[in-house]
Amino acid sequence: MQSFEYVDAPVPIDEGIVAAHREVWRRIAAAGAWWTGAERVAIAVEVRRAETCVLCRERKVALSPAAVMGEHEPNDVLSAAAVDAVHRIVTDARRLSKSWVEKLAAAGMSDAHYVELLGVVVAAFSVDEFHRGLGLPPERLPEPGGGVPSRERPAGVEPGVAWVPMLSFRAAKTSAPDLYAGMPMAPNVIAAMSLVPDAVRDLKRLSSVHYVADAEVANPLARGERLTRAQMELVAARVSALNECFY
Amino acid sequence: MSGTLDGEEIDLSAINAGPAAAASSGVPQGELLVGFADALLARDGSELVRLREAIAAALGPGGLRETASVAANFQRMVRIADATGIPQQVPLLMLGGDVIEELDLRRFASADNTPAASGVQRLLGRLLRPLAPRLMQRAAASLEKRKIDKANRSPGAGLGA
Repeated sequence: MQSFEYVDAPVPIDEGIVAAHREVWRRIAAAGAWWTGAERVAIAVEVRRAETCVLCRERKVALSPAAVMGEHEPNDVLSAAAVDAVHRIVTDARRLSKSWVEKLAAAGMSDAHYVELLGVVVAAFSVDEFHRGLGLPPERLPEPGGGVPSRERPAGVEPGVAWVPMLSFRAAKTSAPDLYAGMPMAPNVIAAMSLVPDAVRDLKRLSSVHYVADAEVANPLARGERLTRAQMELVAARVSALNECFY
Repeated sequence: MSGTLDGEEIDLSAINAGPAAAASSGVPQGELLVGFADALLARDGSELVRLREAIAAALGPGGLRETASVAANFQRMVRIADATGIPQQVPLLMLGGDVIEELDLRRFASADNTPAASGVQRLLGRLLRPLAPRLMQRAAASLEKRKIDKANRSPGAGLGA
């Protein structure tokens, strides 16, 4: 049986969504630029564990997450720092900080490892959220594939704009021309993970079926098949506000 | 505070105030849509069941699917923004300056990543805002034309393939 059959879905799921979800699952299982397939699947496992993590729940209601000491359940494949990073991105992203990212680096997680971890987290989490929204059980995670990380760092990434280096619009023209294709500028939320270009490609793949294609975001006439753009933006803005996201 | 999008006049205060305010937001079925976002993030299973049925009845199965997918999309995007500390870019900050103020978005901790727009930028933003929708439409049309031209120039184009 293939993944994402959606036979029990309460509404028809169009082929574009099915194909994008399958491709993202295939990509999670494969070696990335910095993590192996086994590690990437383990990151997705922790995305789900974070939902029921007692430590995360206690931290979330504390005045500061640093005020609650403790450790997450260990993971056989990932370091404690990686597990903590996954859990905090899922459960308390609004209180992440530059100094926290710097501490991860001091604990041995490079900026590129962090960005790829983030890419896996948000891909797996958003597919799970789509399922939760429709009342569907989470899809079974893929079996890890083989292969070794490519360890490719794109030429031209620069620090300064965000907590992690990014590819500028100009630099991407030579090192990853597809990333910002069709866009008049590189929106920071797309460029944010450009240290790992495949993470941006996964993001674009999902955004084009969950929302509108990146190149169409600025076009006020771009809309869903059923929802008007105003209806889409109301959902988007409310989700962002509830997450206390300024961006 | 209100704005216009896709020809619809909408009251943006529903973004902060929740489902009850969304009923008068001017967005059709706004109360259901905002309620869905609230229930999803609160992990309120019974409310989600009720809202799925209500949204499917009001907007059709496709409307429910799109509501779930947009919510999922922004559960992803907010985490990318918060985990990387990206600032809002100046052109968007200029055009959205009043919205940021009216909705008090600077109360969010992640606002620290974005310096406030200068007085000149805000003034420019106010002047350009009425033109923004038309400019964006023109830019989108221009990009679309470029895409079509590129496709027509690609090998195999026009061969009936």
